[in-house]
Amino acid sequence: MLAKTLRASLLILALPLTGCVTATVDEMVFNEPVHGIGDASVVILGRRHASDYETEPDFIECVGDHIAARDKAITVVGELDFINALYPWFEPRTAPLYPEDLEKLMQQAPVAQRLAELRTHYMIWIDGSTVRTDSAGSMTCGIGPGGAGCFGFGTWGNDSNYEATIWDFTNRAEVGRINATASGQSYMPAVVVPIPIIAPVQGTACDSVGDQLLKFLSSEH
Amino acid sequence: MSGSMTSGPEGQTIPRWRALPRSLALLLCCALLAACGPNEVAVKGQFPTPLMNKLPLNIGVWYDEGFRTHEFFDEAKGRAESGWIVKTGEAQTQMWDTVLPGMFTSVVHMKGKPEPGQMNQAVDAVLIPHVDELQYAIPTHTNVKVYEIWMRYRFELVGPGGKPLAEWTMTAYGKTPTAFLQSDEAAVNLAAVVALRDAGANFATNFTRVPQVQDWLAQRQAPPAGVAGTQPAPAAEGSL
Repeated sequence: MLAKTLRASLLILALPLTGCVTATVDEMVFNEPVHGIGDASVVILGRRHASDYETEPDFIECVGDHIAARDKAITVVGELDFINALYPWFEPRTAPLYPEDLEKLMQQAPVAQRLAELRTHYMIWIDGSTVRTDSAGSMTCGIGPGGAGCFGFGTWGNDSNYEATIWDFTNRAEVGRINATASGQSYMPAVVVPIPIIAPVQGTACDSVGDQLLKFLSSEH
Repeated sequence: MSGSMTSGPEGQTIPRWRALPRSLALLLCCALLAACGPNEVAVKGQFPTPLMNKLPLNIGVWYDEGFRTHEFFDEAKGRAESGWIVKTGEAQTQMWDTVLPGMFTSVVHMKGKPEPGQMNQAVDAVLIPHVDELQYAIPTHTNVKVYEIWMRYRFELVGPGGKPLAEWTMTAYGKTPTAFLQSDEAAVNLAAVVALRDAGANFATNFTRVPQVQDWLAQRQAPPAGVAGTQPAPAAEGSL
């Protein structure tokens, strides 16, 4: 009986426990794409000029991986690779804020040549962050000769808010804008062993943005 | 109790099982003493070469001792805080040695500080960078979940003989958000690398916009006064 209970407990611990997440996606399309990007590439960049937050590099990577995994034909240029290849023109201080700024940038022969080599068709700027909104509860952990354990309950909320702006590099124009918000509450009850029930807020926002972007970039979606 | 023996003071032998608690206590004391010291960060990072038209200038560069070994020390203000030592000297020279060759046709390190009587290589001008000020902020200071580094540079552009041509200041800023499993030291290092990249970007994109530098470049292109038929120096093929 004890063995069965222990086995059941271990099974519960092994299960991926996740909290609930509510996500909303808004989309504005200025120029409906008619086909995929073919053999061109796309770059996804994070905006980092705000003083109190910055778009997380791992979120940018997550969106890129999401797109690349669902359409193998799309080449997603890594953010750091792109920024390094075009240093110093895409640093927070110097990055173009409007599609028209690209024209000025392209007047520099080495920059134009590098961008041609990269065959960038779409440039996607993502601005936003995930923040912890509230937290409550308390947990106490102890260690003694007989073993260690925790007791208590904790809960916290996370909010994600991201806006993706899509620039068509060929026409130097903004072709669409996607806004994704997600919020969720995570819980951590602990009776000897803490059991985290995490709401994948940032992951849901990443999937939402990635799915919408695929509509622009992929001929299969 | 079985076990090997260890040699104690005055030649007496102590069983290892008795020596172990002493060693552990010593280790713990060392760990506690180390915890009392300031956090130390020797900034390390990789810096890309600028992608731009090179200015047709043969520029010398001189890093003085204070710049090459630049470090920032902030003493702890209370028991709850810890002091910080941020060593940027090595990363500074690494970054400027990468950025400057991407901006100018030729960059050479001067043998000595340019001044009258100092034998040096023949160059158009010598750039001498200084870090005048460095400030940092960590989440415990500001309650904002970002680590920040701010620097103010002062640049001197002098002739090979030390004649001042231009002097100006420039700021650089870098920040990085808090990240899971990231230590304070790693985050401060990353913020410093971002600040150094920003310094390179600011310098590379604004060098020719400094009024005194503009005047000097214009003088180089203008024919000497009173010399008829003199061909002007070739115009800068690079533009920033």
